[in-house]
Amino acid sequence: MKIGLEMHFQLPTRSKLFCSCPTSSAEPNHNVCPVCLGYPGSRPSLNRKALEAGLGIARFLDCKIEEKVWFNRKTYFYPDLPKNFQITQYESPLGTNGHFDLNGRRIGIWRVHLEEDPGRIRRVGRSGEEIAFVDYNRSGIPLVEIVTAPDLTSPEEAREFIDQLVTELRSLCGLEAQDEQSFRVDANISLGEERVEVKNVQGLRNLERALKFEASRQSKLLAAGKKVVRETRRFDEERKVTSSAREKETEEDYGYIGEPDLGEFRIGEMARNLDLKETPLVRARRLVSSFGIGEATAKQLVLTSVTLTDLFEELCRHVPPEKAVSWTTGPISSNWAVLQDPGKWPEIVQIVKDDSDGRINDNEAKRRILSLAGVQQEAAVEGGDDMTKLISDFVDSHPEVLADYRKNPKAANMVIGHVMKESKGRYSSKEVVEEVRKEMDKRV
Amino acid sequence: MSAIYDLIRYAQLKHRAFTEIVEDLDDTKFHFSAKDNLCADGFQARAGSAVLDGYRPPFDATPIRKMKDSGGQLVGKTTMDEFGFGTFSTNSAHGVPLNPFDLERSCGGSSGGAGAAACLIPGHIALGVSTGGSISGPASFCGVVGLTPTYGRVSRYGLIDYGNSLDKVGLLSRSSSLVAKHFRTISGPDPKDPTSCAQPVLADRGKMPRSLAVPKEALQNLDPAVRSSFQDALSRFKELGTEVHEVSMPSLRFALPAYYILATSEASTNLARYCGMRFGRREEELNQHFNDFFTGVRSESFGDEAKRRILLGTFCRMVGFRSRYYLKSLAVRQLLIEEYQKVFRDHDAVVTPTMPFIAPRFEEIGRMKTLEMYGADVLTVPPNLTGMPHISVPCAYVKGLPVGMQLVADHWKELDLLEAASAWEKAFIYRFPEVSP
Repeated sequence: MKIGLEMHFQLPTRSKLFCSCPTSSAEPNHNVCPVCLGYPGSRPSLNRKALEAGLGIARFLDCKIEEKVWFNRKTYFYPDLPKNFQITQYESPLGTNGHFDLNGRRIGIWRVHLEEDPGRIRRVGRSGEEIAFVDYNRSGIPLVEIVTAPDLTSPEEAREFIDQLVTELRSLCGLEAQDEQSFRVDANISLGEERVEVKNVQGLRNLERALKFEASRQSKLLAAGKKVVRETRRFDEERKVTSSAREKETEEDYGYIGEPDLGEFRIGEMARNLDLKETPLVRARRLVSSFGIGEATAKQLVLTSVTLTDLFEELCRHVPPEKAVSWTTGPISSNWAVLQDPGKWPEIVQIVKDDSDGRINDNEAKRRILSLAGVQQEAAVEGGDDMTKLISDFVDSHPEVLADYRKNPKAANMVIGHVMKESKGRYSSKEVVEEVRKEMDKRV
Repeated sequence: MSAIYDLIRYAQLKHRAFTEIVEDLDDTKFHFSAKDNLCADGFQARAGSAVLDGYRPPFDATPIRKMKDSGGQLVGKTTMDEFGFGTFSTNSAHGVPLNPFDLERSCGGSSGGAGAAACLIPGHIALGVSTGGSISGPASFCGVVGLTPTYGRVSRYGLIDYGNSLDKVGLLSRSSSLVAKHFRTISGPDPKDPTSCAQPVLADRGKMPRSLAVPKEALQNLDPAVRSSFQDALSRFKELGTEVHEVSMPSLRFALPAYYILATSEASTNLARYCGMRFGRREEELNQHFNDFFTGVRSESFGDEAKRRILLGTFCRMVGFRSRYYLKSLAVRQLLIEEYQKVFRDHDAVVTPTMPFIAPRFEEIGRMKTLEMYGADVLTVPPNLTGMPHISVPCAYVKGLPVGMQLVADHWKELDLLEAASAWEKAFIYRFPEVSP
């Protein structure tokens, strides 16, 4: 099975791609101006932030980036498209020939380009008496389109691919969490010779459903010795089936020409100078190779929180990685809301270091971490009293040990052994030794 | 001042130079007009098309705003060919302007109304727009000075597009000094038009061209009277101390087809937005499929020439034809730029007649085939295709009608052209028709 995806993500800019209208939500047709309404005489000027974000994505996906790019007019008539052409990039995308590593497998990225979003049509009223309203707030919102090679092999993998990609892009350029409805994807899927395009699927869940339906439809056709027709299909969210869109078999002719109002953009320098953030999954791979920790653990860390991972790396400078893992994934992450305050980090590092060096035992370290987090743990407090009580109970009932101790300090070993046994390893040996000596010395 | 207003009304009523005029003149301001494809608050902007009937833009085009800011009053919008599609202003939905020298003849196009207004009203400055010769042509037929600046010199924000890579806002007036003055007013970078932001700063003054080049290819197929009066004009230029040399520019013959392919390709996308949805005319029944609604509005409102250019442009953009026509024309444009620049290594300007003939009578235009009409742009298209500045000045009168001469300079050298025009005006006296409103 071969699946290729064309994904559209909204870039996180404050203003639209070609005008200064805000991208925030508003009453219908409030975030509009002559430019995004396509009024005669208005013209576009490119939002630099959108270009930077798009280039960042192209570079992150290891695309080839040309020195100069330009935009194109894609002409088609539709009521949500104010100019009846969309400004997009056709022969000159921001990046080509990149890849994304999905669980160690290379998924080819054919192209990354910028384009403007059309408006949104809302239909109200009963079928047959529908009224269509057009809201142009979305018109001109900057989108990045990412097209993959048909390298994905199952609907589940397609879903996981997008899931991981979104995780990475969110951290890379602050891409908003794509809710189910705002996310749009076109998917190509082929089991045999001919590919079928499922267009305009909304949301990840629907994508997986649509692909599963198509996979089974195509495999049934092939099993019955029939041919899969090359066509465009639509996914019906209610019935969870795809159906032929009954469009022309040949590709629609959009009559692309250059967008003369924008001219050419020299982007080579800009792309090279971008400072790319290390994304979570890339970081996870680095943690695995630098610290030898498990892949699952590394992913858990980076997906929990960037700063938690920062703390993990800081701990690794002082203690063995396995110690750092058990503390960060254990008591520290369960109290992360409080402990994420960097002001508390030096103390955390000290506690974990003391634990690792054996200066305090695990329980004491845990008690200190929890108290730093403001958690009052009864057990931990009782445990503290417990040792003194164990010592005094034993010494009181065995006066001969105290007598021996006066002559030979090694007699304390009996007490130590008893406490270690009774406390079942709640305290480190060092702690027990110190406490026992202290109690015995008091009595001598 | 009311004498001026009477002239404006006369130009509107008798010569159909204006689509709309103001009700009162402000005596404290200078007066200018704008071609109807430049958006201005308070006026309709219909660009000669019925599809924009009733459209009142909510903003001023940048050149209009700059004129107003420097103390100008916009007194009216001038008639034009629909979206600039024409050489004679006969493709206008709002009246065909009539030549100031002869009501039976064309003003040229597509800024025909601007040419008439500039000629009929002394001291008037008219904003025109040229895509393939729409300033030079009317300047030639109406006997005025017409400057088309370098592409990107004047902001196109607020200009209703014909071909965005070719459109240039310029000026027409009776004298080059007024043109020079307001050329400064409307020039300069504007963030709202990124293509205006690459221009060099305008110098204090230009250099008088010392050497003029006459491409021999441009002198073919001229009306004999135009040819001989052009030769006379060249002699007069020599008397002014300017050298005149014949050169060869073999690529000039590719300019016309390349221009019509690029211009119509762009135009056919620009006109896509006129579908009756958000602005302009809308008489169609709303309760139908959008495709039928759009088709209804467009079939009814666009004129024949607009439809022809939409078809032509759409064809040139189609898969399979795109590389043969559209992409090849882009290459021709580059070739022609290089050819001009080779000439500019040894010469300061290229000079030709502006139009191959004097203003034709409407009945002659009626007999012309489409290709003959397109052919009338043969001399004005090359500098327009290459984005080079050019100026048309009256250089002779044949049968009482003006003949125009066009000078082309290298990119950004408008001021050199204005120097030449100013020197020319001292040697040659312009004539204007006697009007009594």
